[in-house]
Amino acid sequence: MTGWHLDDDALRRYVGRTDSLAEGVSAEQHLLSCEPCRARVNAAVSVIELSVVDLAAVWNRTRDAIEVPRPSVFERLLRAAGLPAHDARLVAVASAFRGVWLTGAAAILAFAALAAAIGHARGMWLFLAVAPIVPCLVVASSYDPWMDPALEPELVTPYPALRLILLRTIAVLALALPAVLLFGLVIPGEAPFAWLLPAVGFVAVVLAASTWVSPLRAAIAVSSAWLALVSLLATRPGSPDAVIQGRAQAGFLVLAAASFVIFLLRRRQLRQLRPWG
Amino acid sequence: MGRDSWDMHSGPSDQVLLLAVTERDMDAFQTLYERHAGWLAIRLARRCNDRDLVADAIQDTFVAVWQRPQGFRGEGDIAAWLWGIAIRRLVSRLRTRSGVAAVFEKAEAAPAAEDQVLLSVEYGDIGQALARLSPEMRAVIQAVVLDGLTAKEAASLLHVPVSSVKTRLYRAKAHLRAALAEGSS
Repeated sequence: MTGWHLDDDALRRYVGRTDSLAEGVSAEQHLLSCEPCRARVNAAVSVIELSVVDLAAVWNRTRDAIEVPRPSVFERLLRAAGLPAHDARLVAVASAFRGVWLTGAAAILAFAALAAAIGHARGMWLFLAVAPIVPCLVVASSYDPWMDPALEPELVTPYPALRLILLRTIAVLALALPAVLLFGLVIPGEAPFAWLLPAVGFVAVVLAASTWVSPLRAAIAVSSAWLALVSLLATRPGSPDAVIQGRAQAGFLVLAAASFVIFLLRRRQLRQLRPWG
Repeated sequence: MGRDSWDMHSGPSDQVLLLAVTERDMDAFQTLYERHAGWLAIRLARRCNDRDLVADAIQDTFVAVWQRPQGFRGEGDIAAWLWGIAIRRLVSRLRTRSGVAAVFEKAEAAPAAEDQVLLSVEYGDIGQALARLSPEMRAVIQAVVLDGLTAKEAASLLHVPVSSVKTRLYRAKAHLRAALAEGSS
């Protein structure tokens, strides 16, 4: 650059930190704009074995850090909501949160809501049949070992299965319920929140039943029962939405509460997650 | 690691390497690391005695460079840009001692004319004037005037309240001004 360079003594004093402040300042200003002298500092560090840090190790760590995939949008959302990074990762790796499943669930709901919005009585029945069971299916797939091979190594590590399942369930509900409500708004004449209790009730039943059978089987059983009930009612005269009104709502509330109590009482059975499938 | 000191400046320039890093070139990134991690570590270690923290700051710096190489606007030396990131990563590590914020702070504005004078002087009166300052004042001068940190960042680095940084800086500048006026008359 200017033809002026740090002489060897000054360089040694700088690296060995035996220089004065003014000399150090001068050296540092020069180093910022002089590549040959920076290279000499790098070389001097290795020669006099005064390596302040293990630069090779830091390089390896740096490379590892940049090769780890960036957390997904959902995982960053969970962390922003205050969940510790480890929990957020475990919740977010569930296959239910991979785009395909969510898109599929949303598409089913959208079709049903569309059919209902057209105003056809059959479309109304379709929405009634589909909307309440979508959240419990998504919850089940979020922690079923068959759906989620990543769960196996997770449970080998001492991580409370109950906590994992509850965290995932809450995350699913936080995603699925707004969707159900949103589509419910499209339905003419019906209070959108009427779908809420059946949906929550079925999720609780799946949680409780998963202490006996695999969550996915539980969800399929619950869904089948609900579909059978709805199609039975559809053959009778009367308004389709009677099934989610008045006394029926109280029934769903009791169902949700009772199932959740059973789930908590039998939570120890969750340790046996792995023999399923 | 390439240690052949006088050969290091041959090969692609830092600008070329950084451009390659923008295109996710890991070899260019490694070359950039080998060129700069050493002197950065030495310079950081002069500000912080904890070697683990210095190592963390170096790592943070290069992770930040990988994530946002376009943060370099093409003005000045890449070395100066790297130092600006590194000293702030160190301050940030000192502040939290855990977790990494992947935020880029704005580069410091050009130093004031008074600071320029201070920077351009190499030996002589100014050196003696600096040597006469108390260690606390010297540390503040070093952090704020020479490293271009804000008072808040300097406070984190030196583990003192921001108000102390401001007071000491004011007094140190007054001392230096007086010492220089004395010397020139």
